Parts: sequence; C-alpha cells; structure tokens
Amino acid sequence: MAGGLTPGLFPGNEPGPLACSGGTFFRIMAPMNAFREYIELFLVFFRIGAVTFGGGLAMLPILDRDLIQRRKWMTSEQLVDYFAIGQATPGIVAVNVATFVGYNRKGVRGGIVSTAGVVAPSLIVITLLAMFLDNFSEILWVQRALRGINVVVAVLLISAVWRMGRKTLIDWITLLAGIAAFVAIAAFNVSGIIVIVSSALLGIAVKYRPRGDRAGGSGRAGEEDPE
Amino acid sequence: MSLIQLFFIFFYIGAFTIGGGLVAITFMQQEIVGRGLISPEKFYNMVAISESTPGPIGINMATYIGYRMFGVAGGLVTTVGTVLPSLIVILLIARYFGKFQDKPLVKAAFYGLRAGTTGMIAVAAWQVITIAILTLPEFRKSGSLADACSWPALGLFVGVFAFSQRFSWHPVVFIAFGALFGVIFL
Repeated sequence: MAGGLTPGLFPGNEPGPLACSGGTFFRIMAPMNAFREYIELFLVFFRIGAVTFGGGLAMLPILDRDLIQRRKWMTSEQLVDYFAIGQATPGIVAVNVATFVGYNRKGVRGGIVSTAGVVAPSLIVITLLAMFLDNFSEILWVQRALRGINVVVAVLLISAVWRMGRKTLIDWITLLAGIAAFVAIAAFNVSGIIVIVSSALLGIAVKYRPRGDRAGGSGRAGEEDPE
Repeated sequence: MSLIQLFFIFFYIGAFTIGGGLVAITFMQQEIVGRGLISPEKFYNMVAISESTPGPIGINMATYIGYRMFGVAGGLVTTVGTVLPSLIVILLIARYFGKFQDKPLVKAAFYGLRAGTTGMIAVAAWQVITIAILTLPEFRKSGSLADACSWPALGLFVGVFAFSQRFSWHPVVFIAFGALFGVIFL
C-alpha cells in the first residue's frame, strides 16, 4: 500500500472526460476537494512541527498518536521503516518522515506540502524571536518550562518505544539486535549509520533465502536475482 | 556573501547531514562560524534558542542564521536550502520503495533494520531522561543518593507516566502540563 499511489494532477478524480464533458462545476470542485486534503496534510504536520521540542525523535509520540492511532494513515512498522530510511539518508529525520508520509498520501505535491507544514512553525517562531526577543533562552521561566517539557517528552518517548518495540522486537534475534544497537550508541558512541548498515546486514544474513525455501521471504522466489 | 551563495552552503549542509540535527549544527559551525560570518558567542546563543523553541533544531538554526544575515528572505532561503536535498532524495526513495518493499532481500533487511532503529530510538529516550531527570554531575560530586536525580522532576515523571497509562490524552496535553509544572516547581 505504501508508495503505491499514482501522483495525478487531482488525485481521486478522472481528469480526462471532465475536460470535454462541459462539467464546469466538477472542474471547479475537483481541485477544491484535493485542495482540502492538501490543507489537512499541511495542518497535521504544522501541528507536529509546532509541538516538537529538540531533535526529530521527540516528535515520535505525536506521530504515533496523530498518524497511526487517530488517522490510521500508516502502521507502526511503516513509521519505523521511515525512521530507518530517514536516519540513513541526507537531511533532518523529522523532515524526511514528513516528506515520506506526505508522498504516500498525495504524491509529490503531498510530500512538498507536508514538508512545508513541518518546517513552517520553525520559520515563524524563529523569525519572530530574532526580531523581538533575542535573549529568549535566558529567560528564567522559559528554562523552567523546558525542563518540565523534557520530563514529559521522556515519558512519551518511553511509551512510544515500548509500543514500537512490541511490533519490531518480535523474536530473540531482533530483541538482541535492538539491545545491541542501544548499547553500541549509548555506551560506545557508535555512529548511527554504522548501526543502520549492520542491522540491515544482520537482517539479510538471518532472514534472506534467495530461493525462498524458508518462510522468511513471501515474495515469488522465481523472480528474484540470486544475489 | 550573496543570498545565492548562502543558499548553496545550506543546500550542501542539508545534503551531507546524515542522522539528525546535531550533525547539521556541526556543519553549520564549520561553514558559518569558520568563515567568520557569525561570531562564536552569537552562534551558541542561537543554538540555545533553537533548542528551546518548537521545531526540528536543524531547521531552527538554518532559519535563524538566514534571518541574521539577510532578514526574512534569508531565513526562507536557508530553510529551503536545508530541506531541498532530503526532499528530493526522499521523494525518489518513496517513489520506488513501494516496488521494492515486498522483495525478500528488502524484507530481510528491514527485519533487522526495525530492530536496530528501535534501539536507536530507545537511546533518544534514555538521553532525554539523563538530561531531564538525572543530575549525574552533582551525584558524582557529592556521592549521596539524594543528589542522583531532581526529585520534583522524578515526581512529574512518575505522575505523568501513571496518567498517560490510564488516560489516552493527546501528548500535547501532557507537554503543556509539563511546561506549567516546570515553571512552578523546577
């Protein structure tokens, strides 16, 4: 399902016959409906950008709630996949996830709209602060509020990791791999890209059977390259 | 330095930042402070503000630096420059990911990747805990267990944890409560 959309001009409508059938009403309304969906995408990611403090991972609990639980736009597994891809590709993870989700909803334009949405709060807030309040971070109550926010973010992240782990750490190999990744980064400061590459290689080593003779690969064995 | 040059500097930063905003900040320091465009003190002040405002920290920094150098247009240009490389790359990946994700090789890779990524996300949770609740420098200094963590923060942690298990309120509600609690008690 993911990535299976064809990014048409006005997704969900057939542009061909409308153009010549003289249905001016539909010619106006079709873009209006698409427009509304773009607005929703923009607003969803605007909200996510507006309440994310710190790094991109802090937005995970809100993505979990807004996109997975409430809107059912994606599954937990997809979100983890996007984070994995976002970690291993250029750019800021939060933006990468927004682009990915937007593309899956509404094609290239959706990707651009949701990226604009997640970035817009930063643009607005920082520009206003730079104009009027250059010593914002030195204000005492701001520092205190941030301490409180950090504690809550810690709670939310733990819950999100727990929910996620139940979907991703499904046997003892993945459980060990998850713990190993945690220890490698937390205790030995191993770079994230190394963890990404080696966990992908581990998955291939454990699960990949070129001829599909085990239950690991459910795709058609005959169509696969031997390597 | 023209606006176009600034765009390409941030495009470069966006293209070579792999794995998070803090990497981007290292690049920005090299490119912006290293060229003497912004003083180091000013730069660290900007980092502090970017950390304490909503939004991804890398984007906040880009906007801030752009605004400082060329006003509102500068902020827009640097932000677009930072985002553009990943926008292009992700759109390309998303376009073909649907075709590849059911191949056994890709499925096998993601079986491992999901586990590794979960571990990485757990590190983020752990880091927030060490910053928000534990006070390890004081603990090392005094050695007494009473200094190992901030007790009001721990109370907030336990309280919010209990509430979030029982009531499925939106995370924003808890974040707002945390901010209020912090202003009063932390």
